[in-house]
Amino acid sequence: MNTDPVLRLRVLAAGLHAGLYTEQHLPLPYEQVWSVASDLSSELPHLVPFLREFRVPPGDADRKPALAVGRSGLREAFEVRLAPGSCLMQSRLIVGGMAAVPEGAGTRFAVLGATRPTALRPVQWLYGSLLGERRGQAFVHRLTERAALR
Amino acid sequence: MDTQGDAAEPWETAAELVRAAQDGDALAMDELLTLVTPYVTRLCRPIAPHDMPDAVQESLVAVFKGLRGLRDPLAFYGWVRTVTVREAVRVARRTAVEEPADPSDLARLGGLRTGTDGELPADVRDVLARLPVRHRAVLVLRELEGLDEAAVAELLGVPTGTVKSRLHRARSAFRKAWSR
Repeated sequence: MNTDPVLRLRVLAAGLHAGLYTEQHLPLPYEQVWSVASDLSSELPHLVPFLREFRVPPGDADRKPALAVGRSGLREAFEVRLAPGSCLMQSRLIVGGMAAVPEGAGTRFAVLGATRPTALRPVQWLYGSLLGERRGQAFVHRLTERAALR
Repeated sequence: MDTQGDAAEPWETAAELVRAAQDGDALAMDELLTLVTPYVTRLCRPIAPHDMPDAVQESLVAVFKGLRGLRDPLAFYGWVRTVTVREAVRVARRTAVEEPADPSDLARLGGLRTGTDGELPADVRDVLARLPVRHRAVLVLRELEGLDEAAVAELLGVPTGTVKSRLHRARSAFRKAWSR
């Protein structure tokens, strides 16, 4: 029940008062979807427009360090938790998350983006463009395209 | 202080995660979710037996949505109980089809005693499921959670007298069975 990663991400979205949370049914098998979503270093720069590079060791981990490099050259240290069907990534300023579960012949996929409460509002504001319903749908759309290629 | 060690009380472990989660630490929030889900499930099962997954999910959403407003992280479990019982009663009332419990079912009961895992035996849950939602909530809080009548009344937002009469009616069904 609540081992369902999508239901868990929905709870976290409420807790983080997330500006971006989108959930969608994708007409592709779970394995195909999650192989793209969990391949963070190769795929995340294709999925997030302002990201040039996401350096992270491969494989599931409770906590592993990562470094995001923006198109502007801005660098940001992240901590990543990756498990089957579930991914959380957070820096001092923002949180990102993805979740997936098999649903019929396809996959229920969810994506989350939130800013952390902080004094560094101006820097955080830069990330504001990451958030919003349309951004979430664009992310899922790109992910579906990438997954269809596999 | 190592609150992650074996000696740490559950509410101390929770309090540390609550503080981090209130600062927007998503990984701590994720751990807190894992920690509190079994407790929320245990409260929801007897109150909303027909809609348990919905009751658990809606309780958890309400808990985490309200987390930033919790002033004392050490009071986390008590607060979770308040939020969960309210949500579970609300969800159960949405679809409540209440029929009176069968006396022969009640006769099989020895009382509201939990097993070693803190869960009610299946036959007790079965009878509870057929009591009215309000009676269920009162019984769970009074017998299972050990709250006094004043605390139950405050939690459910009803007068103490109402709790007393609901408790009396809910218990009398069990008492009839015991006296056979």
